[in-house]
Amino acid sequence: MAKLLVVDDEQDIRDFAKSFFQKRNINVITASGGAEALELIEKEKPDLVLLDIHMEEMSGVEVLKQLRQNKNDIKVIMVTGVEEESIVNEANSWGIRGYIHKPLVLEELEKIVIGELGTKRS
Amino acid sequence: MINRPKTKDQIKVTQINFKKELEAASKSMIMIHDPKLLIKLIIRMIVRKLGIKHAGMVIYEADQDAYVLGISRGEPGLKIPQGFTRFDKESPIIKFFVTKEYKALTVSRNAIVSDDINRLIWREGVLDKTGGNGIRKLLHDVDEQMRMLNTTACVPAYYRHKLLAILLLGEKNDGTKFEQDELDFFAALASDAAMAIRNAQLFKGLEAEALRNRQLFLRTILVLGSTIEAKDSYTRGHTERVTKYALAIAHQMKDNGSFEFDEQFFENLYIAGMLHDIGKIGVPEAILNKKGRLTVEEYETMKLHTTKGVDIVEPLKLPQVVLDGIKYHHETFIGSGYPQKLKAEQIPISAAIISVADCLDAMTTDRPYRRGLTKEEAIAEIKNNAGIQFRPDVVKAFIELCEKGIV
Repeated sequence: MAKLLVVDDEQDIRDFAKSFFQKRNINVITASGGAEALELIEKEKPDLVLLDIHMEEMSGVEVLKQLRQNKNDIKVIMVTGVEEESIVNEANSWGIRGYIHKPLVLEELEKIVIGELGTKRS
Repeated sequence: MINRPKTKDQIKVTQINFKKELEAASKSMIMIHDPKLLIKLIIRMIVRKLGIKHAGMVIYEADQDAYVLGISRGEPGLKIPQGFTRFDKESPIIKFFVTKEYKALTVSRNAIVSDDINRLIWREGVLDKTGGNGIRKLLHDVDEQMRMLNTTACVPAYYRHKLLAILLLGEKNDGTKFEQDELDFFAALASDAAMAIRNAQLFKGLEAEALRNRQLFLRTILVLGSTIEAKDSYTRGHTERVTKYALAIAHQMKDNGSFEFDEQFFENLYIAGMLHDIGKIGVPEAILNKKGRLTVEEYETMKLHTTKGVDIVEPLKLPQVVLDGIKYHHETFIGSGYPQKLKAEQIPISAAIISVADCLDAMTTDRPYRRGLTKEEAIAEIKNNAGIQFRPDVVKAFIELCEKGIV
């Protein structure tokens, strides 16, 4: 079963994303911050990370940067606010599979995540 | 103890209480003008008192031209996080509620309920033998979208046929279906919310318009005040400088406790400053720009600019403070000024302030017939005239400003 890591400092979003993707036969793990995310990526080796850009303790871009500097090329989709082109560009330069703006269209989120996980879903 | 099933009457009683509770709550909500707060209360009440697993409100946001799920509450995992999702105009649920022919399908229920959808799809299939028509496809899409949102009922809220919000409702805790009277209540609550949203939008629009009008008014005053400068060569920049000095003196008088001016006074003083010489439009240019002393007759004509000023602005119906500033800025403390030879405290404060500001600028600028005084000379002159030409407390504030280096 494909494994998805959802990184967001909002509990509501983690809860919702977890139940949303579990219904779609995806194994979902969650992290509430950057440090926890980096640890889980190391330990659980998820297939895809859904990474929020705005987090209190460590920004999504910082998490991404650390991953890439440690030669980890895990697939990442960034979740951003509107009108944050410069941050998206920075994230892009570190290598991401795509990004989606909040407030997002659920169907688009589903499409982009399932598109990335593809055949790994059982 | 044996749990007996409730009799029909008992069920009825609980329903009536619940109805009353809703009515009471919705009455108290009328007092709330902040739509977000109102919607929060509605959602909380629905989840708590009506035993629904989760609920949320999708609200039209003009700046995004989309519907955003702004407020939600309920069980973790089921409720949709606030501000997380949006619905574009092409979104099935939105399309369903804004398109006339589809909307008609929900009129009797005040909502679209997931249990109804299959029945509706079947009915449409029967009605339309060609199969695969738009309505059936859309109903399937709506069904799919509602599943995605863990939603069993959607209640639209309109204001004059414009969809402003949609109430999304999860399952009931007891697993029973929504009754029609419940849906009707939700529709009433949703329409309260829509009304609040609409009022807030209108209020915001009014505020913005009032601000625009005010700015337009102040710019018009600025233009009007500057017109005299086109005619009178020495006054270039004079009106704006006088206004600036007058405001500074007034602020100092407030700071040192001589006067309790409010914000309105400062705005009026600004307008009075900008318009204090407007009456010079009615004075012949030959007099305004004369090099050398004016004859007695010419001087009498010149003096008329104070009263002509208030006549010119009369249609603007400006506040008395402004009119006083224009009319009496040439009065003197000992009563030798014009147009009315007012004395001391008889001279309105706006005029007494403009008088000092006006003389300061007149003294320090060059005239066709004489060079201006230096700043120090002008300050000494004003100081010497406290209690003669000028009101002492105005001069005091002015001197304080000079000491601070502001003027």
